[in-house]
Amino acid sequence: MAVQVGDRDRPDYKILVVDDEPDLERLVRQRMRRHIRRGKYGFEFAGNGVEALEVLTEKKDIDIVLSDINMPKMDGLTLLQQIPEVNTDLRSVIVSAYGDMENIRTAMNRGAFDFVTKPIDFTDLEVTIERTLRHLDEWRAALASRDKLVAIQNELDVATKIQQSILPDKFPHVDGCEVYGCMHAARNVGGDFFDVINLDAGRIGLAVADVSDKGVPAALFMMSSRTLLKGAAVGVEDPGAVLREVNDLLNETNDAAMFVTVFYGVYDPSTRLLTFSNGGHNPPLVVHPDGSSEELELTGGLALGAIPGFEYGQASVRLSPGDLVVFFTDGVTEAINVSNEEFGLESLQGLFGDGRTPTAREAAEMILQAVQDFAGEAPQFDDLTCMTLRIADE
Amino acid sequence: MNVQVDHHDKVLVAKVEGRVDSSNSQDFERQLQGAIGEDVQAVVVDLGQLAYISSAGLRVVLLVAKTLGQRNVSISLCALSDPVQSVFEISGFNRIIQIYDTQADALAAAG
Repeated sequence: MAVQVGDRDRPDYKILVVDDEPDLERLVRQRMRRHIRRGKYGFEFAGNGVEALEVLTEKKDIDIVLSDINMPKMDGLTLLQQIPEVNTDLRSVIVSAYGDMENIRTAMNRGAFDFVTKPIDFTDLEVTIERTLRHLDEWRAALASRDKLVAIQNELDVATKIQQSILPDKFPHVDGCEVYGCMHAARNVGGDFFDVINLDAGRIGLAVADVSDKGVPAALFMMSSRTLLKGAAVGVEDPGAVLREVNDLLNETNDAAMFVTVFYGVYDPSTRLLTFSNGGHNPPLVVHPDGSSEELELTGGLALGAIPGFEYGQASVRLSPGDLVVFFTDGVTEAINVSNEEFGLESLQGLFGDGRTPTAREAAEMILQAVQDFAGEAPQFDDLTCMTLRIADE
Repeated sequence: MNVQVDHHDKVLVAKVEGRVDSSNSQDFERQLQGAIGEDVQAVVVDLGQLAYISSAGLRVVLLVAKTLGQRNVSISLCALSDPVQSVFEISGFNRIIQIYDTQADALAAAG
């Protein structure tokens, strides 16, 4: 039994021939019979412009209109003007008398893609049809990728909105310290977040995080990471145990192997003790009033979401009056300038000299400004996030 | 970014060159996953010529490691440059993926 390939009723391309010459239909069917039999071309016929518009209105899948110029009721040049009203996704080819440049020019001005001359040379017509179809295919592919781009753009806008919507914009007023955070989102990346959580006994939970990917899936992963973290932070005392709980929950459904690096610390203003656990995040910097600085130790952690059951260590540091802790994401240190050089940790440390330590807000804004000045015209690939904890002067 | 593949018996060596970041991590995933055939028993990823890897690239390494783990195929990394080594240490991935100094060490352990 023969197997039917494709849809025999639907040719690859449909061509509408418009001519008041009754013999043309027979001629076209005869000369194009190979293409018709193979299912490459299908033909429709109309005797004038009015009939052509009727066909185009009824059949939306016409690819090419091949039209004569001089016809009763509605001529080819008028038809050309009317076609965009009923179909914008086809191309027109005009059949004109040899040397009739004036009509050809008018036809081209009215949107005809090409023309052939009478008497029709069928080899020439085939070449013209092929060229027109090739153009049409490319045009349609370009349209499709443009639509796709618009869809991606929308998706990334959604991601950015999700990201921005969860960042704190009010910071707690606590005696003995101040906190500030800000982020410059790279265009269409939904990766970073930071959070400031009010805990009992005046303690403050501080989190900064970076999700491994971008777009809507990453933004949703970030959303659940942030919610889980907040929930765990309120219910669990130790930062290491907080990260462990969030990690286990994130691992319950994570087929895409997404992960989030999280630094989470709890600051107690009454003791000036910062207790922290680092889940695979770049370590924060402690800046002293004399401008010297060092990174907080890694606590043997692992990015959250990577594997379940991981035990997160923790450490503590007692801060001094005037100290500033800078929490940031790698978008800060890995920002590149037009010469492809990284901003780097040294540049970050170099921003602080001997003298008055800036306030939490001044420091965070100064850092992001310095990174943006450094990057100059180079495009920003990653979110820039900076959160600061400033211990009050004595 | 480019991935070159070599076979040492049933051990597949994938050599990654250039930079892997969010702009080409999907391509990296396709190339790496595509290179790993059914009959491979161990995979060694040589990062000696890798200049930079972002978290999007780490995700691909983790994804491939997880996929291979389900098939009981071992995976190890080798020859990391200092900056790349530091990315693995900070993220903690050096704790869940075996890393060797040289390709020879990795092959000896895999064979």
